[in-house]
Amino acid sequence: MNAVLRSVTDHRAAPLAVQGLTHGYDDGLVLDGIDLALSPGSVLGLIGRNGAGKSTLIRAMMGLLKPQGGHAFVFGEPALTMSDHAKARIAYVPQQPEALAWLTAQQMFDYVGRFYPAWDAAFAKSMLRDWDISPNKVLGKLSPGERQRVDLIRALASQPELLVLDEPAAALDPVARRDLLREIALRAGEAGTTVLFSTHIVSDLERVASDIAFLHAGKLLLQCAVDETKERFARLWLPGAMSAAAPSDTLGQRRHADGSLSVVIERQPDGSWPEATRLPGARVDALGLEDLFVEIAG
Amino acid sequence: MFAIQPTSAEPIYRQIVEQLRRLIAGGQLTAGELLPSVRDVAGFHAINPMTVSRAYGMAETEGLLDRLRGKGMAVAATTRSSATQAQRMALLEPQLQELARHTQELELPAEAVLRRLGRLLEE
Repeated sequence: MNAVLRSVTDHRAAPLAVQGLTHGYDDGLVLDGIDLALSPGSVLGLIGRNGAGKSTLIRAMMGLLKPQGGHAFVFGEPALTMSDHAKARIAYVPQQPEALAWLTAQQMFDYVGRFYPAWDAAFAKSMLRDWDISPNKVLGKLSPGERQRVDLIRALASQPELLVLDEPAAALDPVARRDLLREIALRAGEAGTTVLFSTHIVSDLERVASDIAFLHAGKLLLQCAVDETKERFARLWLPGAMSAAAPSDTLGQRRHADGSLSVVIERQPDGSWPEATRLPGARVDALGLEDLFVEIAG
Repeated sequence: MFAIQPTSAEPIYRQIVEQLRRLIAGGQLTAGELLPSVRDVAGFHAINPMTVSRAYGMAETEGLLDRLRGKGMAVAATTRSSATQAQRMALLEPQLQELARHTQELELPAEAVLRRLGRLLEE
């Protein structure tokens, strides 16, 4: 395995792919020509600020929204006209699940379990217990957090080949969140499940994601392997007097109150940092993903 | 057995390799000792098993670990439990440089820092 960007050019081979996806609402473009493809067994963490369009992108990818431009594919099929066979291989958990509100968790599991060939009833039962959800309460009477937990259990118990989670961490306490991350990590690593999850909690993503994508202002700013991202980017601080020599064309650039300048720099093909890092007073800081995200999207 | 900091700027696979180097050089891990399985490490820390495999693979390439058929990874037999002093010293170099940098930033006199370090080492 290597850290090189694993882009999948053949969209029929990718569990999930979009090409030139564009969509907008009355107040402007939310998605502006998004290209993205997940390779099998990868775990892609989609980061973006609130309102960056993560949910819109995911809904378009799942064929739940007809984009104004571009195409989405699930296992090579157009997402909007996905076959039942493809649907049985995927599981999607929206931020606010609303379906089947009149059933209890147990009834819902009994019902949807029939549609999934690999339904794991024992897993569903033990997770309900672990996550402290009454199996006999009507879903409509659960809190939004409990409701999303039930849906996460439903998604995991179906043992999908493709798992898509929209902000799954929001509804979970730290222990349950760790449980979920463990499930994601082990299923991807051992069963080869492909996972896409959106979050604004960067540390969750750092544990389990193999790749990240930054969604900002309608565009994907970066799509890269997590390890490679950490090794490839850094922050360069330049004192005010030197800031004119800063490299242009960087991902992020911020001027600070004391006149100093920080820019996000990228290693050159030979692995070295750009020339400007050798200017007097220059300092290079390694960046965690959260810092990098703030530098780029802040 | 590993201390993983997901938010660190250092990728997780490097954190694991670095800790293996240190544990082996320091003799806490001895030749032939079996390492926890990829699944156990990944499950315990809720990290991607591929990250752990990558770290183990890298440690194997470096000669720190041997892959035992059907048993997983073990500390390499060729690795002497106590590396030379120079090798062990080299592992401490990043922390020493960090300490030197902080000392300068805080404009502390070297003697005071060395005195305190000396006392810590005697404990």
